[in-house]
Amino acid sequence: MGGMVLITVELPPAEATLEEAMRRLGLGEDEVDTAYGLVLLAPEQGLYALRVTEDAGRRVAPPGGGPFSDPPIEPYGPPR
Amino acid sequence: MRVLIQLRPSPDVVAAVAAPDLAATTADVTDDLPGVVLDHSFAPVALPRARPAAPGGDPLSLHQPLVFSMAPEEASVLVRGEISDDEGSARMALLPGRVRDVIAVYADPLIETSLTCGGSPPVGTWQDVERLLRVPELRAGGYDGSGVALAVCDTGVNAAHVTEHLGRDVTVDAERSFVPAGVSGKPGEFAVDHGTMCAFDTLIAAPRASLVDVPILLSRRQGGTVMDGLLSDAVAAFAHLRTVLDAQPAASRALVVSNSWGSFSPLWDLPPGVAGNYSDSAAHPFNIIVGSLEQAGADILFAAGNCGTECKDRRCAFPGRPIVGANSHPQVLSIGGVDTNGERVGYSSQGPGRLSDRKPDVCSYTHFAGSKAFGDDVPDSGTSAACPVAAGLVAAIRTRWPASRLTPSQLRTLMHRTAEDRSTVGFDYDYGYGIADTAALLAALRRREERLRA
Repeated sequence: MGGMVLITVELPPAEATLEEAMRRLGLGEDEVDTAYGLVLLAPEQGLYALRVTEDAGRRVAPPGGGPFSDPPIEPYGPPR
Repeated sequence: MRVLIQLRPSPDVVAAVAAPDLAATTADVTDDLPGVVLDHSFAPVALPRARPAAPGGDPLSLHQPLVFSMAPEEASVLVRGEISDDEGSARMALLPGRVRDVIAVYADPLIETSLTCGGSPPVGTWQDVERLLRVPELRAGGYDGSGVALAVCDTGVNAAHVTEHLGRDVTVDAERSFVPAGVSGKPGEFAVDHGTMCAFDTLIAAPRASLVDVPILLSRRQGGTVMDGLLSDAVAAFAHLRTVLDAQPAASRALVVSNSWGSFSPLWDLPPGVAGNYSDSAAHPFNIIVGSLEQAGADILFAAGNCGTECKDRRCAFPGRPIVGANSHPQVLSIGGVDTNGERVGYSSQGPGRLSDRKPDVCSYTHFAGSKAFGDDVPDSGTSAACPVAAGLVAAIRTRWPASRLTPSQLRTLMHRTAEDRSTVGFDYDYGYGIADTAALLAALRRREERLRA
């Protein structure tokens, strides 16, 4: 899997599964990091995140839903 | 920010300042300058006027013979003061044109011969930090971290190492810990590294807190040697921490999340202003989940970073404003670093932050002999150490003040208000509101308790 990005999608609690998110967004299994899964960001909004390929992210991200960068993060120390 | 103000008062005042037998004061030179807190402990200094020795010389060039005049009609006077960081550049530009007698305003940077930098030896020990945090006072008041979940989001914790070097038992809550997909190892049993240092430092002030091990920085990327993770790992970890928080009884919720990590380079991110960017965008999923977790009752602390102007980490690649992304989130405490002498370490990142201007929030202690996670003579350093030290203090407070009694927002405000101010104008971009002050915090909590009882 090449470059990956994050996208977000709103789902009702009863339909909050990765399969349902993929179906709604028209995503194939080869475009999604299924091991990452569907991650709940804000329960109060029913907002979830998925990790998908850059191409898929550009194609399916809903308005305001990305694609968002997924940069590396590093420990802040010891100072070099 | 500290400034030097050059004035040209009346010749008799200049003469008084220049006279060695008269002790002129700042008040003799100027009563008041708008927006400047004058430093009356600083004796004003007369400054000679320099001019080219040869007629027709360039008045702005130092590369020629000069003559200096201390004649009262020509010399000027320097006084010292402080301007709020929020309006520093505007005041510096406007004062000379708007206030009579002011010729110019200059920055007055800190000059030190012994600024603590990355390669400096330890300054004090973790027992000094314990004393500065007033841990005996905390313990006597029942503030020891009991019943508080303290998540260390880092490279994993080695509990045996922490126990050995702290000299007391350590509790790692394996059930509530979170190991990202693709990372092998068990909570509390990871190799000794940065995360073990952080865990050690949290327990200085909160020895009885339950550590929640969250090794998000153990790489999930293949073939790399750099120890890092991806921001998506942090998104998943924070979603897990939300379940930890929601599972706690509402009346006694207490989850403190310590994060000594961040992003060093804009090259891995989309540019600021472009949709999908992380460093400057509150709409990024990680910044959303940070806000959501805080709103639900978690205290979230982030290291401010090691990109301070005096001796920044060589990985720092942001051209300015290095406190980025969630490290500058308005709903977190962004922690700068001071040594055990209370002086800001030269690598501690300065504000303003990118998501929120007023960063760092407060400072805590770093660069002390502590966990020995990197070797016997290597200090616990970076704002990486300052953040968990502060997280331990927050966890200690949570022992008796769960989020239902004192929301994370209220606790942050209290920490701002009670911090030991390191300037004379409140908030500044070096120290934030100052050094987190346990005694003042406990006194404020006692007053709050009395008010609640009344």
